[in-house]
Amino acid sequence: MTPLLEQFLSEARDFLEGIGEKLMQLEDAPGDAELMTALFRMVHTLKGNSGLFDFPEMTRVLHAGEDLMDAVRHEQVEYSQDLADRLLDAMDFVGMLCDEVEAKGSIGAHHAADSARLAESLRRLIASVDAAAAVVAVVASALPNALTETGIVVAEADLPPLVDIPESIRMDAYRQACGGVDLHWLDYTPAADCFFQGDDPFFQARGTPGFLWGSITVRQPWPALAELDAYRCVLEFHLLTTAPREQLDEYYRYVPDQVRMIPVTPLFLALPQGNRNGGPVAYENFVDKALGLLGANQLEDLVLAASNLIELSSLELWLSSALRWLLLVMELEPENRNAFAKIIESLRRQSPPKWTELLPKVTGGNPPAKTELHLSQHSLTPEEAEVMTKMLDVQREILNLPIQENWQLGRIKAVAATLTGCLMASGDVAARAGLEAATAMALEEAASLPLLAWLDQFQQTRSTASVESLVNQADVGVPVPRNLSEIQSDLSADAVRVSDVDAEAKFGRRAEDAGIGPKSLKVDQQKIDRLMNLIGEMVVSKNALPYLAGRAEDVFGVRDLSREIKAQYTVINRIAEEMQDAIMQVRMMPVSFVFQRFPRLVRDTSRKLGKEVNLVLVGEDTEADKNVIEALGDPLVHIVRNSLDHGFEQPDERRAVGKPVAGTLTIRASQESDRVVIEIQDDGKGIDPDIVKRKAYQKGIIDEATLERISDQDAINLIFAAGLSTVDVISDLSGRGVGMDVVRTAVEKVNGAISLESEIGKGTRIRLSLPLSMAVTHVMLIESAGQTFGIPMDSVLETVRVPCASISSIKQSLVTVLRGNIVPLKSINALLAIAAPPQANSDHELAVLVVRCGNEAVGLLVDDFRETVDIILKPMTGVLADIPVYAGSALMGDGSVLMVLNIKELLP
Amino acid sequence: MKRILIVDDAATVRLYHRQILEAAGYKVYEAVNGIEALEKSLQQPFDLYVVDINMPKLDGYGFLRELRSQDIYQAPAIMVSTEAQTSDHQQAFAAGANAYLVKPVKPEQLLIQVKLMIGEARG
Repeated sequence: MTPLLEQFLSEARDFLEGIGEKLMQLEDAPGDAELMTALFRMVHTLKGNSGLFDFPEMTRVLHAGEDLMDAVRHEQVEYSQDLADRLLDAMDFVGMLCDEVEAKGSIGAHHAADSARLAESLRRLIASVDAAAAVVAVVASALPNALTETGIVVAEADLPPLVDIPESIRMDAYRQACGGVDLHWLDYTPAADCFFQGDDPFFQARGTPGFLWGSITVRQPWPALAELDAYRCVLEFHLLTTAPREQLDEYYRYVPDQVRMIPVTPLFLALPQGNRNGGPVAYENFVDKALGLLGANQLEDLVLAASNLIELSSLELWLSSALRWLLLVMELEPENRNAFAKIIESLRRQSPPKWTELLPKVTGGNPPAKTELHLSQHSLTPEEAEVMTKMLDVQREILNLPIQENWQLGRIKAVAATLTGCLMASGDVAARAGLEAATAMALEEAASLPLLAWLDQFQQTRSTASVESLVNQADVGVPVPRNLSEIQSDLSADAVRVSDVDAEAKFGRRAEDAGIGPKSLKVDQQKIDRLMNLIGEMVVSKNALPYLAGRAEDVFGVRDLSREIKAQYTVINRIAEEMQDAIMQVRMMPVSFVFQRFPRLVRDTSRKLGKEVNLVLVGEDTEADKNVIEALGDPLVHIVRNSLDHGFEQPDERRAVGKPVAGTLTIRASQESDRVVIEIQDDGKGIDPDIVKRKAYQKGIIDEATLERISDQDAINLIFAAGLSTVDVISDLSGRGVGMDVVRTAVEKVNGAISLESEIGKGTRIRLSLPLSMAVTHVMLIESAGQTFGIPMDSVLETVRVPCASISSIKQSLVTVLRGNIVPLKSINALLAIAAPPQANSDHELAVLVVRCGNEAVGLLVDDFRETVDIILKPMTGVLADIPVYAGSALMGDGSVLMVLNIKELLP
Repeated sequence: MKRILIVDDAATVRLYHRQILEAAGYKVYEAVNGIEALEKSLQQPFDLYVVDINMPKLDGYGFLRELRSQDIYQAPAIMVSTEAQTSDHQQAFAAGANAYLVKPVKPEQLLIQVKLMIGEARG
């Protein structure tokens, strides 16, 4: 990617964000002229920028948006919610194009139709005072139109004037069509001001691929010469081409709104023309004779009779033209009896054959290429398997793209179609049911997670299968299932916004630069990560100084030098710690980064549901590490959707119970010691523990005994259990409650916790608590079998020394009793497959590190405890990345490497 | 080396023009609006301005009018805008522009105008 394109994408995203924000603000203050001007300028600049590149699809939409905003700004068009909706849609589209440009470097030609439609819908708003009605009409008509144009149904009135084409060319086209090429009739109506945009319509039309014939007409009668404006294009071009649709789309991608393409059924070209008067008298007899021959299946005689009649007639007669067509059709489509009959009939009436009557219900210029792969039990070759792995990976990438409200469903459908194709190709029919279920779920939730989950599972089974069948195919890549945090860190490779509040003071900005733009700079995340790594190494190497001081004193006996080294060490230590802190600060982002999508989400969703909901955001400037903030996004969206869908009652229901008609959804962020706390609170109907209990019992999540004694709070927490739905009718928004266990998992992946309180009739409150930063990990050092390991402090509950005597065994498992609770004991050596037994100290006590595993406490038998330290945890890379029991490694002060254990994976 | 000031609020456009002009051996400076452009002009003379029309704070017309009214070095200015209407041309020339190009500007188009304006066309 060139620097210019990078700059464009980065600036474009800023603008899109700004445009969305300004539009939302305008909803509250529609009369704000300043806001309007700012909005106009953003759209204008963005359009100008896009013009520098070859992105006609993007520029077209932005141009329409700019014109619309210009009209609004000059009060020619009134600002309305509909208008905002259209503009937001258009900006979402542009955002999607930006994503595509970033991913592929260009925009696919297939977006041209969407682009034209969006631009058209924006322009209608300008053109029509009765804006709302017009927009509805455009959208309503867009779909059927698209159908006709992509070419299936052709009504008689819509038929292009094919008869304008000379017969010889039509016959040639007919021959080619029977040979398998697609025929298209093309109406190209260049914009009146096209000359000013550097277009050359004549050149464009002449250069049309597969050009067979063309004509030029004028749209309206020519005005008097004095009034003629030679700089306005009033011409229309009509063409017949043999190029396939995709090629035409590509060729006309800059002006799809000016082009109408109609697929031509070859037979429609068989239109006799010429002088209808005169000709041999014999022709009336010929019709009866010909029908008779046709009925008797004497086709050769029919050809002979027709040829004879042609020789008797002069060439320019209508009659002889019809006979020529009859012969040609008989030659090229010898099976098509109906067609012969039609032509013969037309001879009698001397009117063109009515081909539309012949048309089957569904037909078209390009017969749909049916890819019927009935290859059941077809095993894939290694090459095919590799291609399929690649395809699956691409689908995964698509599913992992950031959610774009309006395009999400389309994406899911596209991915589902591709996956179905893969299954058909590999003959894996059994897996289709699962895929269909996952697709349905994904579509209902408008989220990629169900499909991703299916894909994970499918790839796992596939990779095991392929390993079994292709033992010797070492080069077949076995897809490694990626966990959520890896995906997130991939995603977070985007630029990180660095807040630079104190820049003025620190960097002594020159006066001339003051007041320009926002005082922040965008830095590539990789650069920050590098800084983090460097400071980590510095912290480590500075720790060598005390060691050096010790040696100076003990080995070389220079106490003064030792003291000086120690003094210097304190200075370096302080600076290093401050630096570390400063870099952490750079990685901090305000939660508003995630919050900003909620006004739109709540607005759109509640409208769709017919509910009224006010959104209150509190504490948007609370900061947390970028990774944490990013991990928050999807769970929050899920929770908010759930709340809108299931939490809030319909307005009349609310009125009936005496609540304000409009519900209130509060999202509150705050910092509590070293954690960020996000609360999502609604004043809806709350969760009924009895319903949850009953459902959980029906689904077999709890047994009868639990059903009897479970507390209300515990019952509500069952919401987080997998596969529980409390809603009988599954809505198309948040789905079936599967969401909540996905939310819990996602939150726990980043060491977060989630809790829920609910009161019937009053509302529900969900509380997420996440660590402020994931960059520094506080670990406790333990020793076992002569090695040192680190264990993250957030899973450590306590350290105790237990006398060997108070350890007993139940069913071959060691346990001890701590303050009246039975705690299972596991030897860390055994878990790590180290042969040595746990070492007791001189008092015959064993060191037990009590850790939290899920909701249970488990004691780890270790040899000894050591201090706790702050480390910068580096995840395992390369071949080591597949060993899940290690969370990562860290460099220690003495230069040694510390392995940090992952408790969740370690304990079975 | 001839010095050119690009006045445009869009960073992408500034970078685009900068790349073209620097490749042709000019020294390029940037300003994001009319006010900043005026301030920079007062500090040092430029040989040419490449000015956008629609900008916040002070637009291209305003900048040129202000520049032409001041008793400072009067360098030629090329107006660059997305507007192709004749009225925009007229307004630009009235404000003091010496040439008018419609965005997106092709590199050779820009360079020809720049050379003409700076007086290097014949050499």
